[in-house]
Amino acid sequence: MKAQLRPGAREAIFAQLIEAGRAEQVARRLTDAIILGVLTPGERLPSEQELARRFGVALITVREGLVILRDAGLVETRRGRGGGSFVIKADAPHGTLLQARLRGLAQVELSDLAVYFSTIAEGCAERAALRASAADAERLHAWLLHADFSTTAGARTNAGGFYLELAVLSQSARLVREQIRLQAEFGPLLLLGLGDPDTRARVTGLNGRIALAITDGDGQAARTLVADQVRLLGEWLLTMKARIERGGHLDDVIVDDA
Amino acid sequence: MTTSSSTTPETVRPTAHPAGPATAEDCAIEVGEIFARVFRTLDDWRERIAAAVPDRADLDILVESLVVPALIASADSPATDAPPATESLLIGAGFIAAPQYVNGRDAHFAWWLGPLASNPLLGNTSGASRLDLATRVHTEYLRDFRELEWYAVPEATNRTHVTGPYVDQLCTCDYIITLTMPVRLGERMIGVVGADVYVKRLEQVLLPHFLALPGPVVLVNQSGRVVISTEPTLPAGDILPNRRHPADGFALLPCPGTPFLLATRVATPIVTPVATPAI
Repeated sequence: MKAQLRPGAREAIFAQLIEAGRAEQVARRLTDAIILGVLTPGERLPSEQELARRFGVALITVREGLVILRDAGLVETRRGRGGGSFVIKADAPHGTLLQARLRGLAQVELSDLAVYFSTIAEGCAERAALRASAADAERLHAWLLHADFSTTAGARTNAGGFYLELAVLSQSARLVREQIRLQAEFGPLLLLGLGDPDTRARVTGLNGRIALAITDGDGQAARTLVADQVRLLGEWLLTMKARIERGGHLDDVIVDDA
Repeated sequence: MTTSSSTTPETVRPTAHPAGPATAEDCAIEVGEIFARVFRTLDDWRERIAAAVPDRADLDILVESLVVPALIASADSPATDAPPATESLLIGAGFIAAPQYVNGRDAHFAWWLGPLASNPLLGNTSGASRLDLATRVHTEYLRDFRELEWYAVPEATNRTHVTGPYVDQLCTCDYIITLTMPVRLGERMIGVVGADVYVKRLEQVLLPHFLALPGPVVLVNQSGRVVISTEPTLPAGDILPNRRHPADGFALLPCPGTPFLLATRVATPIVTPVATPAI
């Protein structure tokens, strides 16, 4: 039996899975951006050539990605001068789309995502504590002091920035690149909980303590505090997932207060 | 204006002289000379940019013509007897204009990256490519680039500044040292010229000389941040002194004209007598 399976398995290796997956990645990035209001209704997307260049994929991949978005009713394409792909002005809030996104991921995928992100971020924080100079730590405090975490949009941008700064302070180019890659892929989803004022307050309230641990060179404290932050975000996602699966809605908590 | 005669003095070459630096002092001087060559290049760019007073479009063309040759491996090295040049020490270079100079709201980046051979995040490029900030959305949280060390310090001090080594999350996403020099028109700073030294390539140049020394040496910046080291317990990115390495275990040699120091092990740690407080 095993011998019979082998030729098929060999064919599967060379199937165009990666390119097909890329079109979905393009669609998912743009979907997240639309859901989270980074791309606003009525806004024209960059040209297909520009998108291909930015994502580093083939033009055909971008076109396939845009087909997915059109089918999902997120963008419409207009021909002619001044044409292009436009974000559709949705009457309903995008909360329904977000629900679809959360439905599309299994609990086990969501919790694994949080574990992976946390592991990278904890490692960055521990190294940052061991390696930051006094001047580095001072700059981090100064940046935090002026960073806006009071609104959903501000908190999402700056929470991503804070994790990236921790990676930079670790002095590891690989950790910086991985942090950037992770945020591009999952950042909007992972940081969704910052739209909920209570979760936002609890998560961002730990920022100052993390910066202090870095000033003190206390790697273990920095690690534990970052783990606490990501745990809060992960638990929020799982709670919302369960609520949606029970047939509930999360419009109230998601709606942007910015 | 002709700018095509640009030489690339900062290009990495295999050791030209079989007898390289023989002592730690020689190594410190060599570090100073390597950076002095980059400073001279920056000084040349600064003068040309200040003299041109171009508009925005001309500015980009001028800067590109100045910096791109310095970023590309100079296979057509004029000195035929010299060993073939390999790769440029510089991984990025350009001019960052103050917002008011180009009538813009934000700082204007006329910045080019050298060939990126092994960067999994940004993809491989074979030639020089212009930095496109639109592809760096992860830096949105940086409110104003003028607050960053490589811009803020030359602006405040009117002097050349060396930033790093650090992981640059804006251009290369790699470990670099940034040299920036203010460009002034009269009293007004119109921007900074800068060059990013790739730590990996600096290591390729200096490590053979460091390894030839009898004992371990560690090149550090003024914060004690390790750049290049032949002491395995002090890798790049660590800070000297630290818990494993007290300050009195090392002697520090300044590298002339740079903020860098070459740390050499002190044979027997000097035990400073501490006066016991009388109770």
